[in-house]
Amino acid sequence: MSSFRSKVLSLYRNLIRESKKFNSYSYRTYTLEKVKYEFRENKNVMDAVKLSQLIKKAEDNLQMIRRQVIVGELYGEGHLVIEHHQEKKG
Amino acid sequence: MAGLVKCARTLLSAPGVTRCILPRLSAAALVNYKHNAKQLHSCTVSSQILSLMIPGIQQSFVRTYSGKPPLTIKMVEERVLLVLRLYDKIDPYKLSVDSHFMKDLGLDSLDQIEIVMAMEDEFGFEIPDSDADRLMTPKDIVQYVCDKEDVYD
Repeated sequence: MSSFRSKVLSLYRNLIRESKKFNSYSYRTYTLEKVKYEFRENKNVMDAVKLSQLIKKAEDNLQMIRRQVIVGELYGEGHLVIEHHQEKKG
Repeated sequence: MAGLVKCARTLLSAPGVTRCILPRLSAAALVNYKHNAKQLHSCTVSSQILSLMIPGIQQSFVRTYSGKPPLTIKMVEERVLLVLRLYDKIDPYKLSVDSHFMKDLGLDSLDQIEIVMAMEDEFGFEIPDSDADRLMTPKDIVQYVCDKEDVYD
């Protein structure tokens, strides 16, 4: 179980870290919230088969996020109005 | 001081202004030099003085160096506690420097990871997984950040 535990925690960390790199505000906030929500939804899963399925899903999504961050950098569309507002404030 | 020299140069290029400004400028420079050993501050202060003396000239002489302001253990502690207080799952009244995230504050390992990520954002460096697992109290985080940033007092 402990091998699962460290794997899951490191996936969680990596998913958050990569999600923060999204250029686009809506993708960034969506992935961050989605990652947090999904991990919390499944935090009590103990079944090994189900766990490996979920880990596989997380790994696939991590790869997908990494790709999409790069694609987002290639075709960036600039900041939203709210982001300009936040920059001025902070 | 480099900023001051640059200010003086830009002023010299404006004829007429030079004569009346220069003595006062050098006086200001001397005062600055004596009182402000830190170059960063003397640049901003001198530019403020200049813009006071010549209302027409609006220039920003603030230089952005790559260094960060010096940290003390007290400041690190305040920043760590501020970040923790703003975290929505922590009760600010229960929080103290020694409170354990899981035992005292009732957080889980996912929360602990989120906290460590927030600390990375706050202090601007990455915390490797092996170190992140050991950070269980605000005190641990303060100690870790101080070690990484070479803060000893």
